[in-house]
Amino acid sequence: MNRRPVKLILIILGILIALALPFIIRDRYFQHLLVLSGIFIILTSSWNLLAGYTGLLNLGHAAFFGIGGYSSALFVLKLNLSPWIGLPLGGIVASIFGILLGIPSFRLSGPYLAITTIGFSEILRLVAMNWVSLTRGSLGLYGIPPLTPFNFSPNFSIKFVSEQNAYYVILVFVFLTLILLNKLIHSEFGISLKSMREDELGSQSIGIDTSRYKLTVFMISAFLAGFAGSFYAHYVRLISPEMLALSETFSILTMVMVGGLGTLFGPVVGAILLTFLSEGLRFFEDFVKIDIRFVIYGGLLMATILFMRNGIIGLFKGVGTSNEKQREVNE
Amino acid sequence: MILLQAMSLTKRFGGLIAVKDVNFVLQSGEILGLIGPNGAGKTTLVNLITGYYAPNAGAILYREKKISGLKPHAINNMGIARTFQIVRIFHKLSVLDNVRSGLVDRRTRPPWKVALDSLVKNRETQVTGRFGEERAIQLLEFVGLTAYRHELAENLPYAYCKRLEIARALATAPKILLLDEPSAGLNPKEQNDQIGMIKSINGQGITILIIEHVMKVIMDISHRIMVLHYGEKIAEGTPEQIYKNEKVVEAYLGGEASAHH
Repeated sequence: MNRRPVKLILIILGILIALALPFIIRDRYFQHLLVLSGIFIILTSSWNLLAGYTGLLNLGHAAFFGIGGYSSALFVLKLNLSPWIGLPLGGIVASIFGILLGIPSFRLSGPYLAITTIGFSEILRLVAMNWVSLTRGSLGLYGIPPLTPFNFSPNFSIKFVSEQNAYYVILVFVFLTLILLNKLIHSEFGISLKSMREDELGSQSIGIDTSRYKLTVFMISAFLAGFAGSFYAHYVRLISPEMLALSETFSILTMVMVGGLGTLFGPVVGAILLTFLSEGLRFFEDFVKIDIRFVIYGGLLMATILFMRNGIIGLFKGVGTSNEKQREVNE
Repeated sequence: MILLQAMSLTKRFGGLIAVKDVNFVLQSGEILGLIGPNGAGKTTLVNLITGYYAPNAGAILYREKKISGLKPHAINNMGIARTFQIVRIFHKLSVLDNVRSGLVDRRTRPPWKVALDSLVKNRETQVTGRFGEERAIQLLEFVGLTAYRHELAENLPYAYCKRLEIARALATAPKILLLDEPSAGLNPKEQNDQIGMIKSINGQGITILIIEHVMKVIMDISHRIMVLHYGEKIAEGTPEQIYKNEKVVEAYLGGEASAHH
């Protein structure tokens, strides 16, 4: 009954906390993790649109992230464009590659599509690795310019090198992404995507042009992932072909699954949780001397599938028994 | 008036001819029954009309325009809706959302336009808002599922799933509705309800082609009946004529014997 006000209060509370966070967490390292979380929220949300809402298991998503990062960095380094122009350009280039990956999805689904997408990202990773004259190969690109400052007057300008300022920029983009996805998901477009996820032939029977919808959703998703990649490039200022690696896609997948696949806030929760967790584990790695991160990721993924199919968000939404609540889980 | 016309329609799967040189017309406003023993090619014929298969030979005309070769979504957009022999509803969506999805206007808008409208238009004017809810509830009222509107479709008993699929098909505002065994798996009471419902759909001016194994149902509701046997049309006529037709009787009764060949 009173879900709407409760939801609204939670959202307002979330926004307030998000705005105040850099003042609560003064440690620059943790502020850095917050920025990374923000980048991952956009990245995981974009993957969730494909896998969670449309049922397209894209295991090559890191490629869009990498393409966004590389193309924006190259535009800025080689053509001296402003990084602010680089951000959307990275998204647009990734979006064009989204069309390339969208086309095989017309006829392939499930595991077959998944294998194709792995191939797609691996090929692009190898290109980034071996096109040394452009990408500097495995050394990666370094010295990528940060987002240029806003100069309001000679005495007053806002720079984006500090973690705190970068945080507020990514926060704006995170909000915009979530608003965009919220609108898409709870709309005529979203209901069409969900129909396709549930039954492709059935959705064609009610007039859904599944091929063109897939293409559209691949483009939107790739744009967001590419945008996140561009931001990453200009924030970390050092990128390597590892950005396109399969392990990156599995990080995204784990974040979304743990948070809640096919829910708006699942990727948000998953991205924050796992970003902080994996950094926490990095200290732990020094003790055990092995790369324990993916062991933990794998364990978390298995636990999620076994004990909470709908992720962390699902746990909260599944508490009640009313149909309304059940329905929410699946929206 | 002829709404739909099939001309020398043939569909082969490898060496098997599933539909062989079939001609028929669907008159505006009628209920045409389609019967035949298992494997006669009935579902193949529906799949041909709705674009799920492309014919190897022949053509299908809808309002004198060729539709064979078009994709399923395009054929639905022209006003031909269908249901499936084994229901293909959206299990993890609510009953209401199943119908809502059918209500989305996809005739005039490409996907990118639907996406754009989703961003700029007020939600209440979309089918996901109150506007859609009212129309969806009308349709659910019609098939008697209003009480289950917030239930997930996967929780419905089978008979209700069949009705939900009909409501979803009706949501696309079709001129022709193709029903593939709507009574399969229903008990006699449910079959009776189904007959009433189909008649009522026809009463709203929707032309119906129905595949049915239950003779009582098909004889009761069809204006005309067409009989397929091994992919060929062997008879066509009023229910009374079909009842007395020797070829039909042989196909059904002798079908057991000939199956051993």
